[in-house]
This record gives sequence, C-alpha cells and structure tokens, in this order.
Amino acid sequence: MRARRTPILIAVAAATALTLSACGGGTLGGGDEEEAGSGGPIKIGLLVPQSGVYKSLGDDMKAGFEVYLEEHDNMLGGVEVEVILADEGETADSGKAAADKLVKQDEVTVVTGVVSSAVMNGVVDLFETSKIPLVGSNASPTTLTDATYIWRTSYVNDQPGEALGAYVAEQVDGSVYFLAADYQAGLDEVTGFKRSFDAAGGETADEVYTPFPGTTNFQPFLANANSSGAEALFSFYAGGAAVEFVKQYDQFGLKGQIDHYSAGFLTEGGVLDAQGESALGTFTAMNYNFDLENELNASFVEAYEAKTGLKPTTYAMASYDAAHVLDLAIEAAGGEDADSESINTAIGEIEKVESPRGTWTWSEIGTPVQTWYLREVQEVDGTLANVVIQELGEL
Amino acid sequence: MSGWFNAHFVSMVDGVAYGLLLFTLAVGLSLVFGMMDVLNLAHGTLYLAGAYTAYALSDGSWLGLLIALVVGLVVGLLGGGLLAAAVAPLQGRGHLDQAALTLGISLIAAEVMVMLFGAEVLPTAPPSALSGSVSVLGHTYPVYRLAFIGIATLLAALVYLAFERSSVGALVRATVADRDMVRTMGVDTRKVLFGVFGFGAALAAVGGVLGAPIIAPGPGIDERVLVLSLVVVVIGGLGSVRGALLGALLIGQVQTLGVALVPSYAPFLLFGAMLLVLALRPQGLFAPGRA
Amino acid sequence: MNSLQVRRTLLVGLVAFALLMVPWVFGAFTVSTFTRALVFAVLAMAVNLLTGVAGLPTLGQAAYFGVGAYTGALVSIHWSELGIVQLLVATLAGVVAAVLTGPLAIRGRGVAFLMITLAIGEIGYSAAGRLDAVTGGTDGLSGILPVVVLPGGEGLVNEGLIYYYVLVVAVLAYLGVGMLLRSPFGLTLRGLRDNEARLRAVGYRTDAYALGAFVYAGGLAALAGSLWASSQRFVAPGDMGFEIAALALLAVIVGGVGSMWGACLGAALVVFTRDYFGQIVSGHAPLLLGTLFVLAVYLLPKGIAGGRAQWRTLFPRSHAEHPTAEVR
Repeated sequence: MRARRTPILIAVAAATALTLSACGGGTLGGGDEEEAGSGGPIKIGLLVPQSGVYKSLGDDMKAGFEVYLEEHDNMLGGVEVEVILADEGETADSGKAAADKLVKQDEVTVVTGVVSSAVMNGVVDLFETSKIPLVGSNASPTTLTDATYIWRTSYVNDQPGEALGAYVAEQVDGSVYFLAADYQAGLDEVTGFKRSFDAAGGETADEVYTPFPGTTNFQPFLANANSSGAEALFSFYAGGAAVEFVKQYDQFGLKGQIDHYSAGFLTEGGVLDAQGESALGTFTAMNYNFDLENELNASFVEAYEAKTGLKPTTYAMASYDAAHVLDLAIEAAGGEDADSESINTAIGEIEKVESPRGTWTWSEIGTPVQTWYLREVQEVDGTLANVVIQELGEL
Repeated sequence: MSGWFNAHFVSMVDGVAYGLLLFTLAVGLSLVFGMMDVLNLAHGTLYLAGAYTAYALSDGSWLGLLIALVVGLVVGLLGGGLLAAAVAPLQGRGHLDQAALTLGISLIAAEVMVMLFGAEVLPTAPPSALSGSVSVLGHTYPVYRLAFIGIATLLAALVYLAFERSSVGALVRATVADRDMVRTMGVDTRKVLFGVFGFGAALAAVGGVLGAPIIAPGPGIDERVLVLSLVVVVIGGLGSVRGALLGALLIGQVQTLGVALVPSYAPFLLFGAMLLVLALRPQGLFAPGRA
Repeated sequence: MNSLQVRRTLLVGLVAFALLMVPWVFGAFTVSTFTRALVFAVLAMAVNLLTGVAGLPTLGQAAYFGVGAYTGALVSIHWSELGIVQLLVATLAGVVAAVLTGPLAIRGRGVAFLMITLAIGEIGYSAAGRLDAVTGGTDGLSGILPVVVLPGGEGLVNEGLIYYYVLVVAVLAYLGVGMLLRSPFGLTLRGLRDNEARLRAVGYRTDAYALGAFVYAGGLAALAGSLWASSQRFVAPGDMGFEIAALALLAVIVGGVGSMWGACLGAALVVFTRDYFGQIVSGHAPLLLGTLFVLAVYLLPKGIAGGRAQWRTLFPRSHAEHPTAEVR
C-alpha cells in the first residue's frame, strides 16, 4: 500500500516547490540583508481587514489613506510610494500572518493600518525586532506604552471613556449603569471612563460585560439595566453589536427613560444609518467629527465624499493622518534616501500635525494629544448625523 | 417571589420568542440529520439567505413581507435542493466528508453574500404596523417579537401535526427509524429524503425572513445560527420534532432568563447547558426510537 | 532489501532533504509559513488520532492546543527559556487538562462526542478571554522570549532556526505517533473505530481506551501549542477557538482520515491556502478555503493519502491503467 503513494508525494512536493520557488532568496545563508535599493518608490504596507466583521473599518481606512495620496500625486515626502495591501482578517492569527508577509516578503519600509487590538499586541515583537515603523491608525491597547517603532494616529483605547467620564458625573443626577462588550477594548473603555467619573464623584449602579462577539440579543442585559434604577447608561459597542444594541435599547423601552452615553464608535460611520431613529439623542465622545469647522477638514470631507459618497469617519481621518505623518517624516528623513530607521526617527521629531480634527502633538507613548468632542445624534436635513455639542477638553 | 417574577417576566417572554426562532432553524437540521444521516453545516447559510432576502425585499409594508416570505421560501427550497444534490454523491462516506463539503459551500456562500450585501450588519425593519413597542404587564416589549411568537407557534404546531399526525409524517418517521424497511415496502426513499431536505431548508430560510428583525443578517451570523441549531438538535435528540421544540425552548430560556440571572457567566451558559444535558443523556432528551 | 523498501527509504530521504532545504531556498515569510504548517501538522495528527484512528471526531483539540500554548508562553515568561522545559510542562498541562475533561467527552460517540468537544473548546476559549491576570485577556499574551535550545545558548530569532527547532520536534512527534499506532494499544484503537460493540463483547474496557486516546491527543495538541508559542511569540484566545478546531478537523479530512502523513499534508495545504495564497488574493482566503474543501471532497474521496487510484482518474496516463505498471 505504502509504495503506491510514492509518486503522489513527489508530485505534490515538486508542485509545491515550483509554486513557491518564485519567492527566491534563502532565509539562511542567502545574502538577503540589503535594503531595497534607493531610487525606486518607497514601499508602504497597508494592513487593514478586507474580510471578516471588521471589513467596513478597513474600507474606511483604505479610503482615507488613498485620499491623501491622491491629493499628493501618489508622493509622500517628495518620493513616489507603492502601497501594498494586506488583509488583516478577523483574528490575531490572520493579522499576524499578514504583517509577517509585509515585513518579511514584501520588505516594506513602513506599515500603517491595524484595526484590532489583539493584532496590534501580536505584531509588537515583529516591528520592534525588525526595526520597521508601524504608524497604526486605529488599534491602540492601553498596555502598549514602551514601543520604539510603533506609533498611532488614533487615540488610546481608554481615552474616549476618560474624556466623557467627568462630564457624565456632572450631568447625571443619580447612578450610571455600565454595559460593554466583553473584550479588552470594552474593559479599557469602562476603566478610562470610571477614572474621571469616580474622581468627579459619579455613582455606579452596576458594571456588566456582554459576551463578544456572540451576543445578538441584548434583552436580558437591558432588562437588568432597566430595573436597576440607574439614571444613565454608559456603553461600549462597535460594528454589528452597536447596531443591535442601539435598536434594542429603543425597542425594550430604555430610550427616553435612561440617557445613553457611549464611546464614539457606537454611532460612527455606516452603523448609524443601520441604527436609524433609535440612535437619536445618543451622546458619544470622539476625537473627530465630519462637521468640525476648519479649512483642512472642509477639503478632506469634500475629497472623501467625492471618492466614496460617504462622510468620513474617525477611522478614515486617522488613516489620512497616518499618510500625513509619513509625508512629513519621509521628507524630513531625506526623501529618496529615507529608510526605515531614519523615517522612524523623523516621525518622533514631528512637532505637530495639522489634521482635519485640529492640530495635535505626540504624547510620550506615541499617540496623539488631541481635543475630544461631545457629540449627539441628531436629524440634520432629513438624515441622521453626529453633531458636535461641545468640547470635552484635551487628552 | 412576585418581585422576582416581575423583574424577569420580559426575559421569559423573550426566551419563548428566541426559542421558537431556534426551533424553526433546528427542526430542519434535526430531520435531515435524523433521516438522511446528513450533517449539513450549511444550514446557517440558509437562515442568512432568508434574512438577506427579508432585508432586500421588505419595505415596511405587509406586501413586502409577503413577497419576502414567498421569495425566501423559494430560496430555501432551491438551496435545500442544491445541497441535497451536492451531498447525494457522498452516499455512504460518513459525516466527516459531508461536514467538509457543506462547510466549504457555506464559506463560499458567505463570501458571495458579502459581495452582494457588504460587510455591515443590516437590521431589517418589520412591517410598520408591527414596528413599535407595547407595554406588557408594565414592561416595554417590541410588538414584532410578540407577533413572531404567534406566527412561530402556529408554524411549530403545523410542523408538529404534519410530522406526528399525518400519513406523510408517518412515512417520514418510518424512514428515520428504518430506511431500508421503508424502501422494501416500495417507497422511493430518495424522494422522501429530497422532500425533507427541501422542507427543512425552506423552514430555515423562512425562519430567516421572519427572524431578520430579531437576529439581523451580517457576516458571521450563519456560523452563530449554525452552532445554536446544532446545540438545540443535540440537546433535543436527532430526528425528533418534539426534541427540537423542547431543546429550542430550553436554550431560549437559558439564553435570556439564564443570562439575566447570572450575566457574568453569560458566555458559559449555552455550552454549559449542553454539556449538562449530554453528560446525563448523551443521546439527547428525545432520541427517536432507532435500534 | 526488496524494491519496496528501497523506494520507501528513497522517499523518506527525499522528503527529509526537501524539509531540510526549506530555509536555504525560501525567503523569511515562506519559511515562517512552513513553520506554521509544521505546528499545525502536529495539531492535525492529534485530531487524526481521535478522528481517524479511534473514530471519535473532535472539534475540541484547539482547547488543548491553547492550554499548551499558554502554558509554554507562561513558562517562557516566568520560568525558563529552554525549549525542552516548555515542551514538557506544556505537554503535561495538556495531559492534565485532557484527564480532567476526557471522562465527560467520552460519554458520547459520533456527533455527541463532536458536540461535547466543541463545547469544551468554546468554554476554554471564553475562559481564556476572561482570565486576564493569567492569559492577558482577549488582547493576547505577548512578551514571550525567544526559545533557547541548549542551556546557555542564545535564543532563536532567525526564521530558519526557528523552523529547524519546530521541524525536529514535529518529526519526533510524528515518530512517537507512529510507534503508538503500531503498538497493541494503537491496534485496539482502530478496533474501537471499526466495531466498538465487538471489542466490548470480548472484554475490552473500550472507555478506558477512548480515554487513553483522548489523553494522548490532548498531550500532543498541547505540545503543538508550545511550539506555537515559541514560534509566534504571541498567544491569543483565538488560537484555541472554533476556527482553529474546525480547520484542524478539515485538514484531516482533506489529508485522508486515518493517515498521519495525509493529515500533515492536509495541514500544510490548509495553512498555505489561508496564509499564503489567501494573501495573494487579498481578502478572499475564506473563498479559497471553501473551494479547497469542496474540491477535495469531490475529487479525492479518500483524501490526499487515499491511494493512487483516485489520482489516476484525475490525471489519466495511458500506461497507468495496466496492472503491471504497479511494480514499476
């Protein structure tokens, strides 16, 4: 029996070898250490989800990055760039494999993107050891504080909550109920919120985490919140869960009884249309809104709408800023002579970034110090939109 | 006691709605499994197809819902027929090959649906007459879920009667119990099998049309629905309508009342309940009489 | 030595040569994909031991894989960077986990067994996300140090060296499984699959054998998990989730249920389809995997390891139909 299989195995092995030999260059022995030669375009890896539940965030980030490139004739820092797209997928596993490919096979000079915090944690080692800068434009776990090559143009996961906590403690006359998706970002968000909320004398009714991503029916959680006697609710949900949560919050009669505060992701982008009128009156904290009044934002919104037909989200804006950061850094690093190391150094030396959200600067851990805004979902000219109510201060 | 009852009344009602929805999904899976001995891991895809149909066609009117139901029925029948034809060549090759094939099909179908409908969750509005909420014993509850309880009870009763009381049902039950015997009696069991597959698939798709306002269509929903129905089927006992109904109502309560009572253990309740039942009765609560 | 043995030796030599050459021929990403495939192959062997040999289809092996991965990672972070220590402690943890959960799992057979193992896997997945203090929660556990092979040596950072480390352990695991299958215990397991009632009738305590297989498979999966932690230097709850469990089972089906080298090839095929070709057609990895499974089920009814007859129908050769061609 065994001998019959021989030719098959050889055929399979040969076929595999043939298919793969195109990659060339051995890992051991082969002199593969050279940086990509100067003169050609700079390779930039764009690591965003193109499949799975986070695909729509990935689409926003891709569009935001492309808008910047289109505005600058596909040049960053005066050098032509080649963007290599990789699919982050849904899990830490798939994201890590994609990052591996960008760094080890495509040999990109710099990477941007990353939606999921788990992926961000999973690739820290990769970027730190291969000394390639990652300018992240969304995921930002609180634990990531001492990286040299990892930057984020977004925020830190606990900041939207922290920005909102003190305000809610002041506004709400009674206790606040916490409901959040049961994963690290949810925990971070609530922790951040409670930091400023407790300090301002806020009162907590209860703190409950709902299974993620398994929960589609929030009824039992909402029933408990409803009978708790709380005056307000602070939640953290994004994507599909945000849609279901907001609709059911309305359907089970909490709307109008219990004020709803949340991190801005709850009503950001496509989910708001899906939530419909149920979302009216929801208060959220975010670092950006498309209606901010400044010149750069006006041109960004116009270009983005022309490209996608949609209003830009914070995800698109952060990705646009990532391109901007790279533009500044590559120029400062000497344009065509720029390599990973010099770009990384140059990123750290950027003093301030003019952004559609307003001007921001780097914090000590490589995240923006920026103004936070309180937004309310309102009906504007027949469509639902987040509208900025007031500033929540700088974080 | 009455305070406890009052606090959790809505959860119990919702458990019934949720359970009945699970029944419409699980019963087809259970029969196809029990009868044809086919493990159909594309069953969740049928729900998703039905739910997307509802999203695409329902416009808040009764007519829209009716059209969606008819189209969903056709989609389900077609899907069931295609799946039955796809697994037919695998006769006698065991559950694993069926699992690989149907899971492969569901992966492909999921990708096609993302291409057609995008990657967002698409909440589907029920007919506007059913869209609000009403007060039930002082608790706000969505009208649609109440209506759903009514419709799904009717559906469950029809399925139960057709299966347990009609002559066609007797034939189906006989095929579950002893396929060879039925064949010896001159019945073309393949027709029975195709019929049951189509029926189960149609029920899942109709469940999707009716369930879309409760579990909205989106990427990953197929897998979630599949796992829930598998749990129901295994708890209830393969090939048993009564078992599927009981299992579905039990899981419905576990997922609503159970979660409301011990929210911090929510992620463990579903599979914990299943483990408990299987530890006590590995064949499920109502395994039909097969030697 | 008859011609059959010669050909076997030749084949083993050829495969060994090809595996050894990998880091010298391919670039770092391809090598790291090979590493992942090897780890996945060890997991697939554990799944195959239960599914193919003992006839107990499992969706729960990812749980023990995860136990091994977290244990290996924690040993690396808090105690020892030595690979052998990590592998031993992780395997032991997997065995303990399997001993504790096995009695529940083997109460069922067939689909009931499948569902019980699925439940164990899902509960393990949720628990890993919950136990923040130990596992780092849903964001995963990072900070795993490069694995050290010999005391006093340097940690392995180069992809090629990591590949060799994983290769050596995987080959040892393969040989270990081979020995198990040839032992009386292994033969009895096959009997468990083919006719449990008869085995029981002649006095075998079949549950004890099923539990034995479960514990062995648990330890093997945990060993793979430890390799995973060393090679990826990151562990997340997703590593013990449904996706990994399902892919491992599908790899076994594609490879040919019951054949260990089939399972290994199936695992390699799945990993390369998802991580390598899936990236080439960016964003469509699930589509590729789905197509792979459908085609495999129709075209290779017995899996890759299913014998030459089914391949011949795919790639007909004029002289192959002749019986004497067998002895060529």
